[in-house]
Amino acid sequence: MPVPSRQPLVAADCLAVIPARDEAATVGAVVAGVREALGCAVLVVDDASSDDSAAVARAAGAQTLRLSFGLGAWGATQAGIRYAQRNAYRGVITLDADGQHEPASLPALFDAQRHTQANVVIGTCFGRLSRAKRIAWHYLRTLTGLDLTDFTSGLRLYDANAIDVLAGPEASLLDYQDVGVLMLLAKNGMRMAETEVPMLPRRTGHSRVFASWPVVARYMVHTTVLCVAQIDAGRRRHKALQEEAAAC
Amino acid sequence: MLTGQITSAILGVALTGAILFLVRRDHLHGPYAIWWFGVAAATFVLGVFPGLVVWLGHATGIFYAPILPIIIGLSLVLIRLLKLDIDRSKQERRIRRLTQKLAILEQELVRLGGSTGPEPADDEA
Repeated sequence: MPVPSRQPLVAADCLAVIPARDEAATVGAVVAGVREALGCAVLVVDDASSDDSAAVARAAGAQTLRLSFGLGAWGATQAGIRYAQRNAYRGVITLDADGQHEPASLPALFDAQRHTQANVVIGTCFGRLSRAKRIAWHYLRTLTGLDLTDFTSGLRLYDANAIDVLAGPEASLLDYQDVGVLMLLAKNGMRMAETEVPMLPRRTGHSRVFASWPVVARYMVHTTVLCVAQIDAGRRRHKALQEEAAAC
Repeated sequence: MLTGQITSAILGVALTGAILFLVRRDHLHGPYAIWWFGVAAATFVLGVFPGLVVWLGHATGIFYAPILPIIIGLSLVLIRLLKLDIDRSKQERRIRRLTQKLAILEQELVRLGGSTGPEPADDEA
């Protein structure tokens, strides 16, 4: 059952969630940039960093969550989404802590949400997709049937319906914020839209997915298994999981 | 010189004794204890009465009867491993969610207390 957003999201009602692992060099500027561009609350989820990412983020005006041990980018993002749900934010905007998303382009996601009334808006940089990524995304598009250009973009806007889907236990065993998350959203009738945003080169660090060929190979195998297993995933399983893990 | 029957009986009794000991000492709990009790009983019976294997081989039409316990044993190990991974996935999900909830509650504590307090310690060994 599709659940389109009735009212457009307003940045002031949203929470910006930034998962960060050892990003002290950039996270401060990212937090300041988001606060200036959107004026919304910012939450940095410290994914068990060994540097002082959390302190830098707090100094820049963000709230912080500190995970006791590393859950990966998606685990950290989900912690932020659960925080948003618990504190009744109407939307969540996620972005990377490495400074590759330009804060000035964030309002474009809200514009796209207003025009398309989608539950999820993904910020994509069409021009900067490498050849390897284009091949990978073409493969995943065929496999999943999702009509999207970029599957791993960390720049996303979720409305309250999408937050409810992603805060649940069914999303907790996913390892990457991409195909699994998108398929879960699609399965629950969430409408997704993409909008083009400019992206800056990473200032430090590197992509967690496209780090090296063995990592990419592992990622593709992992994702393929996930896709094949999810081909006829029913809501029955979803319901059982909700009941089982509702207490956590 | 031991006969085959005595050897298998010793193995069966030893394994049964070890499992019972572990269950009694609470090293195996709940459903695991029941599973291992079953294994202990089967080992004991087959160890002491190896003739049962021959009879079972005839009954199931397996020409080389001694292979039968091995087939059954391997199948049970596979089932056990599968169940283990299912349990592990369930636990992994719970651990992740509890970790997230812990972080959220810690943040709320800090917010209510008004001070940032000491940095929460890492639990990872």
